[in-house]
Amino acid sequence: MSVVEAVSAQSTASENLTGGAYRDAMHRWLHANLPAGFRSDSAAFAPPTLQQSIAWEAAMYRAGLTGIIWPQAYGGHGRSLREHLIANQEIGRLAMPESVNSIGKELAGPIILAVGTEEQKRRFLPAILEMRNIWCQGFSEPEAGSDLAGLRTRATRGDGGWRINGQKIWTSGAYRSQRCLVLARTGTLEDRHRGLAMFAVPLDAKGVRVRTIKSIDGRESFCEVFFDEVEVAQQDAIGAPDEGWAAAIRVLEIERATNRMYRAWRFENELRHLISACKADPALSAMVADRHYAVRLGEVAVEIEVLKAHVETAVEALVNGDKIGARGSLAKLHWSESHQRFAALALELLSQASLPQNPAIKVARRRFEAIYLQARAETIYAGTTEIQLGIIADRILQLSRGK
Amino acid sequence: MSMAEGLQPDEFAATAARAVTACAGLDVREQAHNLAGDGLLGVIADEQVGGLALPLGFAVPVIAAAHSGLLTFPLLETVLVARSLQSSLTRLAAAIVSGKTLTTIAWQGEALAAREGGLLVLNGMVARAPCAASVDYILARMSGGAAALVPTDADGVVVEEAAGLDLTVPEHTVRLEKVEVSIGSILPAGTWDLLNSDANVLRAAAILGSAEACLALAQEHASTRRQFGHALSYNQAIRHALARQKLGLESIRHAITRSLSEGGGPVQRDAAFLAAVTYGSSIGEGALQIHGGMGFTWDVPVHRHLRRIRTLQAQGDASGLINAFGRRYVSEVAPFAEAGA
Repeated sequence: MSVVEAVSAQSTASENLTGGAYRDAMHRWLHANLPAGFRSDSAAFAPPTLQQSIAWEAAMYRAGLTGIIWPQAYGGHGRSLREHLIANQEIGRLAMPESVNSIGKELAGPIILAVGTEEQKRRFLPAILEMRNIWCQGFSEPEAGSDLAGLRTRATRGDGGWRINGQKIWTSGAYRSQRCLVLARTGTLEDRHRGLAMFAVPLDAKGVRVRTIKSIDGRESFCEVFFDEVEVAQQDAIGAPDEGWAAAIRVLEIERATNRMYRAWRFENELRHLISACKADPALSAMVADRHYAVRLGEVAVEIEVLKAHVETAVEALVNGDKIGARGSLAKLHWSESHQRFAALALELLSQASLPQNPAIKVARRRFEAIYLQARAETIYAGTTEIQLGIIADRILQLSRGK
Repeated sequence: MSMAEGLQPDEFAATAARAVTACAGLDVREQAHNLAGDGLLGVIADEQVGGLALPLGFAVPVIAAAHSGLLTFPLLETVLVARSLQSSLTRLAAAIVSGKTLTTIAWQGEALAAREGGLLVLNGMVARAPCAASVDYILARMSGGAAALVPTDADGVVVEEAAGLDLTVPEHTVRLEKVEVSIGSILPAGTWDLLNSDANVLRAAAILGSAEACLALAQEHASTRRQFGHALSYNQAIRHALARQKLGLESIRHAITRSLSEGGGPVQRDAAFLAAVTYGSSIGEGALQIHGGMGFTWDVPVHRHLRRIRTLQAQGDASGLINAFGRRYVSEVAPFAEAGA
């Protein structure tokens, strides 16, 4: 019996469950099923293969840990946003691998739920949750990074469908994906945000070419994707032309505030791991007991508490029917910059470890060196820091631009 | 039915703002009378002493409005003392709630106590007591987290002006020289920790009020001041600076909300205060910078808020608290062991 079945057996209405019972069920399942080798705070850690990740995430779905708030009609578990938060807190507390299908679960899926046809919802959504389809995001282009209004990939009407030509870049995980959520222009470049349409392009279609790009952490995760006369069926157009993008923006605003909701609790897991490693080392154990580093670690802990406050406030606002609007930019700005500060502190501490290095320091260095490098991308992807600041200035403060 | 049913904390913000405005130009006793009339001195005190018996969260918008409006009254201290005395010194608590008796808290230092017959004799120096020269009683910390309520007119109590940043609610130092107080004036061990934990939330609220005022002033100035043919807010550097201030402001607000939520405890309360200190001082200093030379003038009130924020930082001993916060975190984590990893 899955966790969801077990919990559902107590009550068919999730609102009637106590948060404690739901949390306990999620906690127990994760601790019983997460392989030790998947935990980056373990000496046994070995990055899972793609097939292992797919199997793990499919198991998480069956256990009720993904697709939590999606409707049951489309494979979701139909639970509340508060339960989604509880599950994510438990996910965050373990050093588990990042999803290989986060674009499917946190971007494509919600957009399809918002603007997709009934047929698309039934075709795409269960496949995302069951990990039969991995998605990537085809928004950025060489000439359109932060400014998506400048994108040039074109979609033209073809025989009963569309023909796509152009190039996407910084497309994380395209090499392992079955579908790409492509933003393409149906009008002219002068139309800016008007005339943009979205498509669920199968990456095995004729004319699609994927090339990986090596990133600063040595991985080859993000890609360039080339579209050369790629034919896309009408049934793979997401939302109406001119309307899809506006709807997607509304979804993206909510997603910015709520995606990877486990982040604060994962950062806390990282902080606890860092401290535990330091306490296993003669030199570092003295340092973290010293006022200087106690204060700096305290500052990191406060920033994590603030991030939790942003997340929980956003959840309560959504539960109460409030609009999130541009407020997601506040949380994004906070977590991305505070995580970079934390990662830099972790490197600074670990660089002062005693010799010979004990296993605890080896494990921590492996994890935090990767985190440090990957965190440099966090103020760039999903809207750079500068874009977030602009959104806050324009849409929250509504600062005048007038002369 | 409790008073809280059907009420929302935010509903108190408008009342508090109006009351603060009405206090302008009045002396401390007149302000107490006015604030008591609006029910603000007893917002968290029991009904039996004339209070509203509302949860701490209802004091948050009141304190924020008081600081946003630069109220020259020790409101934060008054609401906390009134509640602290409601069980043991009921009549005095009622007098505080009604505005007839004025009180404050000395946030720094400890009074040393020795028992002599049925009395306690207090000695020592306590400090960071807002408006101590104008009040009837001072609550001072004692060893073990107990607290003593000291009448300011008692023999041996010397209240002295202290050099401090805050112009609006000036701090005083209090020397205690063989001051005799009754045993009944002593609040038991543990009082201070509870008081200070609640004070951390209210200090964060106070900083929120001041930070809101600073950001509003900065935003107004950036929108109306023209340089190089444009409003200041036309420049990206100014826009981004204000956006960062807004992030800080909302971070304070959310941290306070979380500290008062079902899962909020001492960690969340300390975090709210520490976040407020960090972001609040940054907002105050940033607002001053955006005003340019105007910001450095006496007449622009940003400096008054900044002075208050820095004073609240000291009253709450933010430096000691962040050290303790980090140490507590470190002490709770076991050394790395594979089984427990």
